[in-house]
Amino acid sequence: MAPSNPLANWERLGDSFYRKVPIYDAIFDEDVELENYIIAGAPYGGAIALHRDESKPYRFRDAQTAKSSIDIYSCSGKHINRLNWEYGTIRGLGWSDKEELLVITEDGTVRRYFGLYGDFTSFSLGNGAEDYGVRACRFWTSGFVALLSNNQLVAVSNYDEPRPKLLAPCPEGEVSSWSLIPPAYTLSRSVEVLLAVDKTVYLVDPTEAEDKVLQNGPFKHASVSPTGRFVALITAEGTVWVVSSDFQSKYSEYDPDSRVTPRTVDWCGDDAVVIAWEDEVHLIGPNGVAARYYYDGTVHVVPEFDGVRLITNDTCEFLHKVVDVTEAIFRLGSTSPASVLLDSIDLLEKKSPKADENIQRIRPSLPEAVDTCVKAAGHEFDPQWQKRLLKAASFGKSVLDLYNSDEFVEMTEKLRVLKAVREYQIGLPLSYEQYMRLTPERLIERLVNRHEYLLAIRISEYLELPADRIYVHWASQKVKVSSVDDDAVCKLIVQRLEGKPGISFELIAQAAYDEGRAHLATQLLNHEPRAGKQVPLLLNMEEDEIALDKAIESGDADLVNFVLLHLKTKLPLASFFRTINTRPMASALVETTARGQDTELLKDLFYQDDRPIDGSNVLLAEALEETELPRKTDKLQLASRLLSDSKDPSVVLQQKLLNEASQLLKVQEGLDKDLADRSEFLGLSLNETVYRLIRSGYGKRAQKMQSEFRMPEKTFWWLRLRALVAKRDWGELEEIAKNKKSPIGWEPFYNEILGAGNTKLASLFVPKCTNLSAEDKMEMWVKCGMIAKAGEEAFRTKNVNALELLQARASGPAAAEIDRMINQLRPRK
Amino acid sequence: MAPYPGSDADYFRDKARRDFLNLLEGVRGKKNLVVSQDLAGPVGLFVKFSLLQEYGVDRVFLLENGNVDSSQRNVVFLVHAEKIRQVRAVAEQIQRLQRNGNVEHELSIFWVPRRTLVSNSILEEAGIIGDVNIAEMPLYFVPLEQDVLSLELEDSFNDLYLQKNPGSTFHAAKALMDIQQRHGYFPRIIGKGDHARRLADLLLRMRRELDAEESSGLAGISARGLLPSASTESLIIIDRQVDFGSALLTQLTYEGLIDETVGIKNNQADVDTSIVGPTAVPQAQESSKAPQQSSKQGQKRKIQLDSSDQLFSQLRDANFAIVGDILNKVARRLETDYESRHAAKTTTELREFVNKLPTYQLEHQSLRVHTNLAEEIMRTTRSDIFRKILEVQQNNAAGADATYHHEAIEELIARDVPLKTILRLLCLESCMSGGLRPRDLESFKRQIVQAYGHQHLLTFWALERMELLQPRSSATSTTAMLLPTTGAAHPGSKTNYAYLRKSLRLVVEEVSEKDPNDVAYVYSGFAPLSIRLVQCILQKPYILSLLRGGAISAATPNPASASSPGWLGFEDVVKSARGATFSIVQKGDDKAIRARQTISGNNATKTVYVFFLGGITFTEIAALRFIAAQEAPRRKIVICTTGMINGDRMMEAAIEKGSLAKLE
Repeated sequence: MAPSNPLANWERLGDSFYRKVPIYDAIFDEDVELENYIIAGAPYGGAIALHRDESKPYRFRDAQTAKSSIDIYSCSGKHINRLNWEYGTIRGLGWSDKEELLVITEDGTVRRYFGLYGDFTSFSLGNGAEDYGVRACRFWTSGFVALLSNNQLVAVSNYDEPRPKLLAPCPEGEVSSWSLIPPAYTLSRSVEVLLAVDKTVYLVDPTEAEDKVLQNGPFKHASVSPTGRFVALITAEGTVWVVSSDFQSKYSEYDPDSRVTPRTVDWCGDDAVVIAWEDEVHLIGPNGVAARYYYDGTVHVVPEFDGVRLITNDTCEFLHKVVDVTEAIFRLGSTSPASVLLDSIDLLEKKSPKADENIQRIRPSLPEAVDTCVKAAGHEFDPQWQKRLLKAASFGKSVLDLYNSDEFVEMTEKLRVLKAVREYQIGLPLSYEQYMRLTPERLIERLVNRHEYLLAIRISEYLELPADRIYVHWASQKVKVSSVDDDAVCKLIVQRLEGKPGISFELIAQAAYDEGRAHLATQLLNHEPRAGKQVPLLLNMEEDEIALDKAIESGDADLVNFVLLHLKTKLPLASFFRTINTRPMASALVETTARGQDTELLKDLFYQDDRPIDGSNVLLAEALEETELPRKTDKLQLASRLLSDSKDPSVVLQQKLLNEASQLLKVQEGLDKDLADRSEFLGLSLNETVYRLIRSGYGKRAQKMQSEFRMPEKTFWWLRLRALVAKRDWGELEEIAKNKKSPIGWEPFYNEILGAGNTKLASLFVPKCTNLSAEDKMEMWVKCGMIAKAGEEAFRTKNVNALELLQARASGPAAAEIDRMINQLRPRK
Repeated sequence: MAPYPGSDADYFRDKARRDFLNLLEGVRGKKNLVVSQDLAGPVGLFVKFSLLQEYGVDRVFLLENGNVDSSQRNVVFLVHAEKIRQVRAVAEQIQRLQRNGNVEHELSIFWVPRRTLVSNSILEEAGIIGDVNIAEMPLYFVPLEQDVLSLELEDSFNDLYLQKNPGSTFHAAKALMDIQQRHGYFPRIIGKGDHARRLADLLLRMRRELDAEESSGLAGISARGLLPSASTESLIIIDRQVDFGSALLTQLTYEGLIDETVGIKNNQADVDTSIVGPTAVPQAQESSKAPQQSSKQGQKRKIQLDSSDQLFSQLRDANFAIVGDILNKVARRLETDYESRHAAKTTTELREFVNKLPTYQLEHQSLRVHTNLAEEIMRTTRSDIFRKILEVQQNNAAGADATYHHEAIEELIARDVPLKTILRLLCLESCMSGGLRPRDLESFKRQIVQAYGHQHLLTFWALERMELLQPRSSATSTTAMLLPTTGAAHPGSKTNYAYLRKSLRLVVEEVSEKDPNDVAYVYSGFAPLSIRLVQCILQKPYILSLLRGGAISAATPNPASASSPGWLGFEDVVKSARGATFSIVQKGDDKAIRARQTISGNNATKTVYVFFLGGITFTEIAALRFIAAQEAPRRKIVICTTGMINGDRMMEAAIEKGSLAKLE
């Protein structure tokens, strides 16, 4: 069969060509009156949703068809699913990038249908949508904006965690048309909306509404190009304007010569605008040149980023700009190397020697010619031409000595995948560009959504992509539709999925649980290798203990905490404790979380667990937190009482010390009352209290406290020494020096007093340090500046060398003294 | 695996910076950043404030201060999602912002290192989960140096040993998975300690789960994580619990002593300006000591302590005893360098000198800082109290009868030495000799409570729970003390230092500080047990030669026996240290391994990751670097840890901060 003329359907528009490729025919039944339907098509050749336009009259046939519904078709017209609709007037019907259908009703309820088979989640727009009602919606790949009847705009930019956000307030007035710029293409990185109000257009972002000051409104249509760079407007007079999206420059103007306002204005790629009436389509290129297409029936336009799909009852066509490579090959009279290369295939088949001549002629640019042919093959829809172009490339390649064939091979793979999904049974008319943007992974996802498991698996094997999700989806579906008993289903699934790594049984189990087959869910869950993944579902299934065990097994403290939080609110306290008691990690986490937050829980826990010391410690900690003295003491006493039964010596000590703490507080309260005008002693430690008493000159009281609290003698002496030095009470220290003995020795006295700078007093203690060596004492004397005394020490031990060293440092009478001593020791010459 | 260029440190630093800046970029316009205290430091390690400003950050607030205002519409929180208290604080502050601002805020939370279920439910409870944008900031390892990766988890010690919260272990496992995904699986995981075992188990489990998640049976791109690494030799995990003792000793390297006296946090030390002089005038080239923007206190100056300071990299790991010498030498060299200007005769020579001038100035500045710092430290180390403390410590380490020192400790208590110092001594004794005699412990308890306040009953409880300070459990450990060889009779419950001291030669009296020949130089004669354990794996012949009593020679290990894997040869010895001992081989597809070995060649430098779970001290880092230098051509050691630790920080984890005085 001779391939069709590749130039068929080409249309010149200014410098470039556009072509309209017929993809499928016989799309809808004759009785689907397209003119009465609202149509929304998912991007990337996705499904089409039809909903009867309720503002239009329709022919009543029977009760069944009269019911409101949304029908989902593939592009080839295969009926995929029907969603019965009884939730009110639909104000927005659109698709996300992931082929999720979004339906927004007048009251601001948003339903997101994922998969194509009616599973959905819903959320509400809020922000006054219930009161004012939604007027219309505009969609972009991952979000939408709703226009309320009070001209407020509500944006949702993420469907997984929808957070409807109000954009800046807009001016009053009749909105004649509007459009949005997706966040990816705006400066503010947030969605921006063009709102045609009265004669002008406002640009609304989250913070402000900016008047673009135009005069030619009201604009009946506004449409933003796929890259957000241009805007197409239809003025009050019915002319089409193409302006930059900042409204600074006007690029072209076109008068369609029609009284009737077009039904839709869309962009075909970034260079041309498509305006459509019921049965007429105008394609407007740069500088206002246009091509016109006429149809017999109603035509609907579904925009893609690289073209538009035109859908009528009979056909589905793809109108797009002819890419450079294709143009270079097929344009009439083209002499590009690639075109010559393609020609030589014909010649080759005719066994004409000219084939070789041609090749030789383009020899220098042959690699590019091959590349071009490979690329052009990708952009061709007709397999015949794909083959021909690849053949040409292959021929060119064979002549070249060195050529990297990777692209060629990849292209054949891609074309194979594309051909498979373009088949009318599947109905995904992806263009090459669209496939590249969609990515193979998401293409497979789409196939899975259509339950085309076999093809999905084949493709993923062919492209070496993970297939686990396909299996999981299949299994979940199996769980949903199968009616045999649980064991059989489980066995079937496990058998089929055996040896397939990466299968998330958790998801399958979730599906089973959602179907109300809890037993099956548990069975399936046992096959899940990842402990953490099982937890949320187990909690849902009220398998609390298993959930807790699995959480602990995963080692993830967060997961355990989450389960515990859940259990704490759900279970009675006693059984909660029973649950955690046998699991040390769980109880440790409960303790940690409760500490400082829920001490009552801790006390209960420790009481039940029979851990009196821990319980008493909680009370002690509480005592520290208390601000009133009586309550502090109360808590301390409570803490002590908890321990009263124990015989364990360490517990007994603990109890004693707790009592001591309250006793100390009492004494300190008294001190505060007697000695200070404000709280000065309360809460200090015993040592600090004694130290402060001595420093303030209450030695007697300090001594009384020492005996009362049985403070070790040594400690007391140290405290007294430090306090007196701090007080600079030299008299008292001198008094102490009269003692015969000190439990801490006399050296500390010397050091501390010397440190405080009183050398004279310090020196008093040197002779008392009887246990020190003479050298040490000498050093001590020297530090006090008493060289003579040091000399005496040296003299006593007959240490001439030391004396000589001292001599160097001595002056005045001390020097003489030392001289004398040296002379005494040294035998005269 | 394709060999990735760049070291782990660079990789993780770049990744963290990129992740963070991307997140910031996602929030359009000017914004206020609220960061929790424990993240402020680590963030400073990979991104400078000036860069944050370029990304629209107007002001930075600390979460703990709770003072974020409405000066900007955008408010971004950067907080640990695993710390429930902080999550609650975030929720409260967001509610406050929403209540009292007349500004409608755009709120974002970047959860570190991941979004948790608990944080979700807390935000949900507070009713704000719908109002905030939530993102994850997967911050795990932060490089402190080219060879040190830290999780910088301040609370990890507390969490692991006091709260028994496994969060840090999980966090560590995730972080190590990052490394595995970068290089391939650790061919062998060797470790010591119960927590270490748990970490290894988690790693194995995560690998299994990753296998389950990633691969799909069809070979190809996703199989890349499945193979044991060719460039990695092993992962060694040491649980801090195995060797509390070493960490309790006062560190005696220069960096260690700075940490002990001034404190080093996130590579920075807050030093009094009276010591190091006021903040230098910011100069472009003065990157090493660039003054921090957030210097709030006038008297403190932040000193950057890392390898960007050349002088410091010379000094850091040296024993403090020789720091003075090095400083002198450098000073003299600098002087001659300066003098060289007189020698410069021709203009080219002069120009050369002038070109070098900035370097000289930089060096000079750093010399001044370190001289002053060293002098300050010297002042401390010369003090009577410091010497007393050191004496007690070294006798404990050497295994002398500890009770002999009790009087000295009592004196220190009476002299009101900081509590943490006292507790360190007691804990050290308890760790080294298997507990204190109950009578002694009681007496100390009483004295400490009287001296420092009764709230410290809680401190003692905490220390006991961490098994840092315990009564000697009657018979068992006494006999272990008396008959060291039977120590192995109760393997695993406690580290038996008495036995290990001999069998691993922890005490090396004759070590030279100037020209060290054994890791013991870091504590002037005591080799940290933790490091000896690492040596048991990496330097078997050396340890054996040590034990045979042969002269300590700068080891030239014989590669044949050095390659015997795991604990082989030391299984019995290691049993006397606390906790599980394990050596796990992670197998992969044999063919693939062999293929890869042929590709990468067998004698390439292999990396050993040493992970200290629960924290590492600067001295231990110094010791590991010492080992790394010896192993240099064949092995590279990368030190990983949950955070930096020292004895004081260990004590602070336990010390009760409240007091009975609080009455306001």
